[in-house]
Amino acid sequence: MNGSHARQVYLVDLALLNAAGSSPSDRYAAAQPAQAPTFKLDRLARPIATPRLAIDLFERKIQRSVEAQGLRLLHCAARLAPALRDLQLPAERVALTAAIPEVDAPSPCWDAVEAIREQPHKLLGQLFANTPPLHALTLLNSSVMAYVAEGLRCNGPMAGYCSQSNAGIDAFIEAVTMLTEARADAALVVSSSPNITPALYLREGTSYPDGTDADIYGEGAAAVLLATVAPLTAPLVIRVAGWGRAYSARVERAAALAERVLEQALSTERVNLSDVELLVADERDPILRELFAPAATPRSSRDLTGDLGASALLTDIAYAIGDSRHEHEPRSRYVLLMTRSRAGHCGALLLEIAKMEKGA
Amino acid sequence: MSARRVVITGMGAVTGFGFDWQSMWMQMLDGAHCIRPWQPEEITDGSFPVRYAAAVDMGLLPAYLQEHPAWRLPLEKRSRYGWVAATQAFSDSGLQAEQLRDAAVLCASGAPQHMLADMQLALADEAHAGADWRHLMQRAAEVQAQGSLRQSNDRLAQVIADDLGCEGPVINISSACAGAAQAIGNAFQMIRRGEVEIALAGGADSVLNLDTMGALYLLGAASSEQRWGKDLCRPFDRDRSGLVAGEGGGFIVLETLERALARGAKPYAEIIGFGSSLDAYKVTAPDPQGRGAAFAMQAALRDAGVEPEQVDMINAHGTSTPLNDATETLAIKNVFSRGDHYQQLAVSANKSQFGHLIAAAGAPEMMLTALACRDDRITPTVNLHHPDNGCDLQYCAQQAVSRRVDLALSNSFGFGGLNTSLVVRKYREVL
Repeated sequence: MNGSHARQVYLVDLALLNAAGSSPSDRYAAAQPAQAPTFKLDRLARPIATPRLAIDLFERKIQRSVEAQGLRLLHCAARLAPALRDLQLPAERVALTAAIPEVDAPSPCWDAVEAIREQPHKLLGQLFANTPPLHALTLLNSSVMAYVAEGLRCNGPMAGYCSQSNAGIDAFIEAVTMLTEARADAALVVSSSPNITPALYLREGTSYPDGTDADIYGEGAAAVLLATVAPLTAPLVIRVAGWGRAYSARVERAAALAERVLEQALSTERVNLSDVELLVADERDPILRELFAPAATPRSSRDLTGDLGASALLTDIAYAIGDSRHEHEPRSRYVLLMTRSRAGHCGALLLEIAKMEKGA
Repeated sequence: MSARRVVITGMGAVTGFGFDWQSMWMQMLDGAHCIRPWQPEEITDGSFPVRYAAAVDMGLLPAYLQEHPAWRLPLEKRSRYGWVAATQAFSDSGLQAEQLRDAAVLCASGAPQHMLADMQLALADEAHAGADWRHLMQRAAEVQAQGSLRQSNDRLAQVIADDLGCEGPVINISSACAGAAQAIGNAFQMIRRGEVEIALAGGADSVLNLDTMGALYLLGAASSEQRWGKDLCRPFDRDRSGLVAGEGGGFIVLETLERALARGAKPYAEIIGFGSSLDAYKVTAPDPQGRGAAFAMQAALRDAGVEPEQVDMINAHGTSTPLNDATETLAIKNVFSRGDHYQQLAVSANKSQFGHLIAAAGAPEMMLTALACRDDRITPTVNLHHPDNGCDLQYCAQQAVSRRVDLALSNSFGFGGLNTSLVVRKYREVL
């Protein structure tokens, strides 16, 4: 779709957290062994430890009241705070978009609810009184957006998405259009994977195509800071040259849909697949492998990170940026990122990435 | 990039007033509200502190909707309401199924309470016997039955797209009580910039369960006031005491004017601007100066390319919480301060009539804004008898107002300070 906007968008900084590590170059390392979750011994997963939040940005009680997936997101967002501060923009010109997984882990609020169920004749007021109100917010997945906004001072436009693994592309596209349409001068794009819980596996059952059960889920988060003003140190210019989005739950439509989305993404720039120097997508996805064959083979860091759901797209962008060619052959090149969700979403993003000389 | 004109050509609503927008519109113009006594199913002694809500009354389901597949499939009730509303909007638009092939679906369906609720349904005996929730989570993994337990939070968007054959972008929105408004705003932007030509946008939600109402009560957001009986939702009144939850869904069909005219559709109204903002103040309270709300309204007006003085009406977020109504009033006064234009504005709070539909709220409120532009009739803010100190706008108290509405704003402000504002214009083919 639209790629021909006047305002340039720079990728100022990014923050990652997943089983592969926390920098773009980690995505090119060797995979560590995955492990079986205690509640799902027939599957492997790549969980990570819940991070501690920076207390200079977030109130200490958030650490206790926000679920792990939210804490991962906040942790990554916090790492972008210095770069955002350096931009010296008014808060109302800083946008925030988020790709948020749904919440399905237990929370302290539900303890109170369960207590009510167990003792319906007790005074409800007493039971409620023993539950800290902040915990109730755990039920609201978008509350993490409010914490990011408060901690990093964003008063600008916002958008939250929760479309499984496609949420990342929705959040990124919206952030870029906010910048190119001059609705903001900087945008934080934040994302997190879902927690690895029994519910995650239960959701695979009904609406998803067969043949994906061997997926290895990972836990992680990713955040990027985009701006229309170039940062001082060796900036990467990221231009969204095109995108495509579509959906069909019908398995027999998957290949045609992916082809259509690819065409959409390439059409605005009038380029061919052969013009794309890096294809980032799930290399095990049979539909995408066939779509790109024989011209190219998609690559990603999924072997290292596991399937990161809503934070996969930003992690893929980090993978693309981590390609050493940007450093060794500093020129503009096209990168195509493509995602397919189990539910039937398909998205493609054509980026033109160029490494600028320092001070350029 | 040429900006296209975006019009509303179909509407569908499920609220406590019934299962179509027409019954909602007529009853609201008459000054009715649909708030009734309510308690969670689990609490049988009437001791739950939140006593009233605007629940959907299945007794009002018309015969022609009784065979809708939404009632047969294992879905949460909010998804049922949303699916029916989307079907109604599609039917209302006069579009043919094949015309929806490339349409986008944008949907807000609220906080994912269903995992807990569904597990309780699936494991009812254990849940009611007092099993520990964490153990329930483990045991749920053993449940073999296919059902809503296995559905993801964006199931509603998928169901609608599957049913109507939409193969455009299917986007699930998560921005709390601003969700449906964001869905409509994003759909408007996608059509305007040429990404799609048709979109179905809105949301559905139901928080009328023990878990979520417990949470809203804990947050101090839900009213437990009993003094006023079922008239307790009193936006901008000195005796307001918190939100009163509703449930339901609403979807609108948006398309390019060119396409609408080509097929002979008659638009309800035109959407011309969308703005959003973040309070960045406190998760549990709005900015007391209303800065975030003002930013959203200003952004929407800027996006629409109109001046504040051109606005005739505001469909307020108007939750009946002490903080929201005061800060929203302050924000309106700041945005429309030039020439004291705020004194000329008609401000209406629909939640006084059908409660707070949470993630879905922005959808029926957008419809009522569009209808106000079409018919020059504004639904009232009921139960407003004594405007609070500082709440000194024209709130259309008690009775519907007839006045010309060329341009209107619809505000939706979510928990955590996620704010949106949409600008709607009376439809004219030639400007």
